[in-house]
Amino acid sequence: MGQSMFIFFLVKGLEISAPIAFAALGAVFSERSGVVNIALEGIMIVTSFTIVWASIALQSVWLGLFFAVIAGSFIALIHAVVTVTFKVDQIVSGVALNIFAFGLARFLSQKVFGQETQTPTNPYLFPQLLGVNSVAFWLIPIAILAWFVLYRTVFGLRLRTVGENPEAADTLGLNVYGLRYTGVIISGAMCGMSAATLFPSQWISGMTAGRGYIALAAMIFGRWDPIGAVLASLLFGYADTFRIMFETKIPIPSQFVQMFPYILAVVVLAGMVGKARAPAADGKPYIKGED
Amino acid sequence: MKLDRIKIDKYRLLEIVSPVLGFLASLVVLVIIVVAVGESPVKAFVAIYKFSLSKSAKLATILSMSIPLFFAGIAVAFAFQAGVFNIGVEGQYFFGGLIGALAGIYFHFPPFIHIPVVIIFSMLGGALWALIPAILKVTKNVHEVISTIMFNSIALALLNYLVNDPLSGLGKGKSLEPQTAKIQSTALFGKINGFFRLLGWNVPDYVYLDYSLIVAIIMGIIVWFVLFRMRYGFEIRAVGTSLDVARYAGMKVKRLQIAAFLISGALGGLIGLQEIFAIRGYYTYNIASGLGFDGIAIALIGRNSPLGVVFASILFAFLKQAGYGLQFYTSVPNSVIYVITGLMILFIVVINEITAGYIKALRKKEAL
Repeated sequence: MGQSMFIFFLVKGLEISAPIAFAALGAVFSERSGVVNIALEGIMIVTSFTIVWASIALQSVWLGLFFAVIAGSFIALIHAVVTVTFKVDQIVSGVALNIFAFGLARFLSQKVFGQETQTPTNPYLFPQLLGVNSVAFWLIPIAILAWFVLYRTVFGLRLRTVGENPEAADTLGLNVYGLRYTGVIISGAMCGMSAATLFPSQWISGMTAGRGYIALAAMIFGRWDPIGAVLASLLFGYADTFRIMFETKIPIPSQFVQMFPYILAVVVLAGMVGKARAPAADGKPYIKGED
Repeated sequence: MKLDRIKIDKYRLLEIVSPVLGFLASLVVLVIIVVAVGESPVKAFVAIYKFSLSKSAKLATILSMSIPLFFAGIAVAFAFQAGVFNIGVEGQYFFGGLIGALAGIYFHFPPFIHIPVVIIFSMLGGALWALIPAILKVTKNVHEVISTIMFNSIALALLNYLVNDPLSGLGKGKSLEPQTAKIQSTALFGKINGFFRLLGWNVPDYVYLDYSLIVAIIMGIIVWFVLFRMRYGFEIRAVGTSLDVARYAGMKVKRLQIAAFLISGALGGLIGLQEIFAIRGYYTYNIASGLGFDGIAIALIGRNSPLGVVFASILFAFLKQAGYGLQFYTSVPNSVIYVITGLMILFIVVINEITAGYIKALRKKEAL
């Protein structure tokens, strides 16, 4: 492997990891506030449609990104209303939203572009840097910012308190529901960033291919920590990049190479026994005034 | 005594209210969407009617479509009963279908043995694909939602390899679709349309009401019996209701959860029966996908009870058919059905929480 090839592998891997990493970063905020967001996959479907739609309609990929973030936040808001206000099981809500989002993107694609499973190509793209989508490089400052917000700001402290011990947080006068809404909406907004790095040139049904779920696995593997989640996402992303770049040169059937990241995820999660702990109130609705 | 009974019925009524209201609320959304795309709601409902309830052939199609959906729903529901969220039914039926098909291809038996054998092998395959996530859940605390999703992806890649390479049954250029060898005629599922015609229901030949319907009915009864008439089922439900209480009562919680997970996988293995053994007669990874996820919706709408799943799977088949009707006769795309289904689940669970709160308040008031 030549030097230029190596650099290309590095940046290409960053580009391929970015959609997973952004979603995983968002998931950290949702889960640290106490809400499991399995709707990431569906939200990513909607944001990756929205970015193409809005870019073409408004002739600017930046406006496209803006509306993708809005769309992601909106679907996440539904999740927050259903799970925080109405205290519905978070996984049930997430599954329902995934079904909803799958239909919504196809419905809109049919209505807007006359084709259910794909849009036309979007000519308005982000600038390239070193041969890849430049937005991928935002991952590094955003990850550091996420770490800072979570561990070095009052908001981050409050968010973590709500996820660990909502009763105590309530007693201290914190707005438990408001903080959980914020956490969930951040996870939706970050899926807008995922859309910006996934494939903003076109929307094709099925293009997210389980990345929302992989992001959840990465977040768990990263121990509910922003930096950990990004590193785990890079592991999945680079494994995939390796497959794409060297598939033809490896003497084993391509399907086994394709399985590798998933097997890796299972092995990694199985090996984490006793080492990682979810936020204490993660997945549990908080009911005000109950003893 | 008599008064008590009336009160209990009132609670029962409140519990049934949420699926009904949820269904109605999603219909309202459907009407709004139809109007928003500039179609008349009347035209839309006529389209749905024409494609679903207008003719006995359409009704039979709905029943036929509901068979795999029923297996999907009952598989997810069984796991739910034990507090296990099996999102992996998708991978389990793809894998179970292959194992069943292999038993149909390579074993030689007379039909009355061969057919039960392929059913059992389909179940074993489904259970096998649930085994590792089940063990990881109880021993390593790996959340089954993540592990089964990974196993879905692994299954797809593995089956792609197996059907394309070692198990490929393609003659030279006979068909473009990757597939296994043909299943022996002794393992193929015949149709029972004639039986329904005897009953006076005019089911046309092209509709598949096959042996898988009989399997579905038998499995539904067995699952109901196990869950609600056997101690084992009681324990499984106890684990699903409260892990701590079940543990305190001395139940073997881990073993029960593994068992429920495997049974769920086994039931899921039956989803492909109709398509593989009645319609295609060979296995391919191009069999209908997404049924595992439909099963989650069906289990939720059917509130995890076998009878509820029967209704929910027929409702779901009706909705799918309604989607085709809309697509065919109006400018409303078929995908609107997924939008409606997702919303329906949300409506049902939200209304359910509200009525549950209301029931709790009522009970409290009565206790005072």
